[in-house]
Amino acid sequence: MSAAPILQVDGLSKSFRGLRAISEVSFAIEAGSITSIIGPNGAGKSTLFNLITGYLAPTAGDVRFRDRRITGMATNRIAELGVARAFQIARPFRDLSVFENVRIGALFGKAGSRDVEATTRRGMELAAIAHLADQPANTLTVGQLRHLEVARAIATRADLLLADEPCAGLNPTETAAMIEVLRRIRASGVTIVLVEHDMPSVMEVSDRLLVLDAGAMIADGPPHEVAGDPRVIAAYLGSPDD
Amino acid sequence: MKRSPALVPLLIVAAALVLALGPFVLPPFYVRVGQLMVYSAGLAVAWAILGGFAGYASFGHAAFIGVGAFAAGLVENQFSALAPGLLLALGLAVGGGACAVLSAAVAYPILRLRGTFFSIAMLGVCHVCAEVNNNVDFFQGSMGINFPPLAPASMDPADFFFWLYLAAGTIVMLIAWLIWRSRFGAGLLSIREDEDTARMLGVPTERYKRLAFVISAVLTGLLGVIYAHALGYITTDSVYRDDTNLNLIVFSLLGGMGTLFGPVIGAFLLVFITQVILGRLLDFHLFATGLLLVLLVLGAPGGVLGVVRGWRVRRRAATAPAE
Repeated sequence: MSAAPILQVDGLSKSFRGLRAISEVSFAIEAGSITSIIGPNGAGKSTLFNLITGYLAPTAGDVRFRDRRITGMATNRIAELGVARAFQIARPFRDLSVFENVRIGALFGKAGSRDVEATTRRGMELAAIAHLADQPANTLTVGQLRHLEVARAIATRADLLLADEPCAGLNPTETAAMIEVLRRIRASGVTIVLVEHDMPSVMEVSDRLLVLDAGAMIADGPPHEVAGDPRVIAAYLGSPDD
Repeated sequence: MKRSPALVPLLIVAAALVLALGPFVLPPFYVRVGQLMVYSAGLAVAWAILGGFAGYASFGHAAFIGVGAFAAGLVENQFSALAPGLLLALGLAVGGGACAVLSAAVAYPILRLRGTFFSIAMLGVCHVCAEVNNNVDFFQGSMGINFPPLAPASMDPADFFFWLYLAAGTIVMLIAWLIWRSRFGAGLLSIREDEDTARMLGVPTERYKRLAFVISAVLTGLLGVIYAHALGYITTDSVYRDDTNLNLIVFSLLGGMGTLFGPVIGAFLLVFITQVILGRLLDFHLFATGLLLVLLVLGAPGGVLGVVRGWRVRRRAATAPAE
């Protein structure tokens, strides 16, 4: 059986004043998977997330979530459907405590009834920050802030989590902890799409890799296959002909 | 910070009841000061629903005092045969309605601006309203409008308006509390903290901002209607006042920006300082307000409540066992 993909991107393009940031990118994400999008700096990974979450309107193409067209929809409407995003540079509500931060996600996020307190606690537990509940967000370390970012996103009861470099700048212990969190989140039934630079963690956690280079998709497949793809190696290291 | 939910409104009502005894025990001068305090506190809280909760600091809320007051006055003068109570009700309905329409109309373009740009645009809105009010004959802004007396013959008007302000201020405070503890309030708070992130978490930021703006404007307008009655006669200059625009910001800064009780504390303190301590120095209070504003921004951006919170945190840190 092949279930309908949870996220489908078709011929998505985005130009900024003639500069093509994303060029005819198409892919489908299977529900329950962890997919990583990798690529050199400036390949368009963050732009792709911005297009999916409605921050930017695409120049052409379509994004469908659960078979519903969300192209150009307002960001908060997309969140109400069940798409959440964790930012690369953590953007906590600085004056609020960890609990209050995650509670905002639980109060809003996906439409439908919910138990706010329980959802908040579950988000903090999944992201392993329950012990920090009463701390003001502005006292957290970089690693803890990343966990908060993920906890808040999960508290929206999203079905799809877009995580923008959750491991960037973390030490090996923190990276391992974050990978464990992502695994737990997936086990709870959430589909995850990662943008990530840290290759060892990408190889370890992903079911599938998508490679972007200069706004175009150049490879798609299981991690080990993709990592050995000569085009991917060329994109990262340059080809001998250059 | 975890209080039982019923405690706050009880506290608000109890405080209002205690204040209501004021006119029985205070000399007339202090009843007038009390009027100004309670009126200012009401305005400060109405302002803070948008400025404190959502972080959109308006520098032009006197627009709603003026529009509310003039709309009420113009209509009330057409129906001057009505009983005073009905007339006030009519004035409040018309004044509040006019502010609702105005704020809803300017909300869409103006709430796209953030930070200082929003503040200054609101100042512009206030001045445009004042100019129109002053120069279009229909609005009688330069000639002025009389308001029929409201206070019963048996009561000192100063006492009457003190109680009226107090009742209105208490209602504004209770509305602010309801918003504060609601999902809507949490959404406004998240907008103040980081609007883009809020939207990403599913907070309908545009709708919430507009709603907060309209609520804040209507409550300000209602207080403006009462203010106009208390004055008895108003011109453009007596309601569209830039010192009101400034004070509304200072109240929140002084008491604690973005808190529930901060604006009330700030309003009481500032009115007390300018009217009682500096009362004899005529226009010196404007200088004092300006100076206070500078000192606050530099030294205590969290206001009185921020300073108190800082003490508490430090005391807790000092008493906690060293690890």
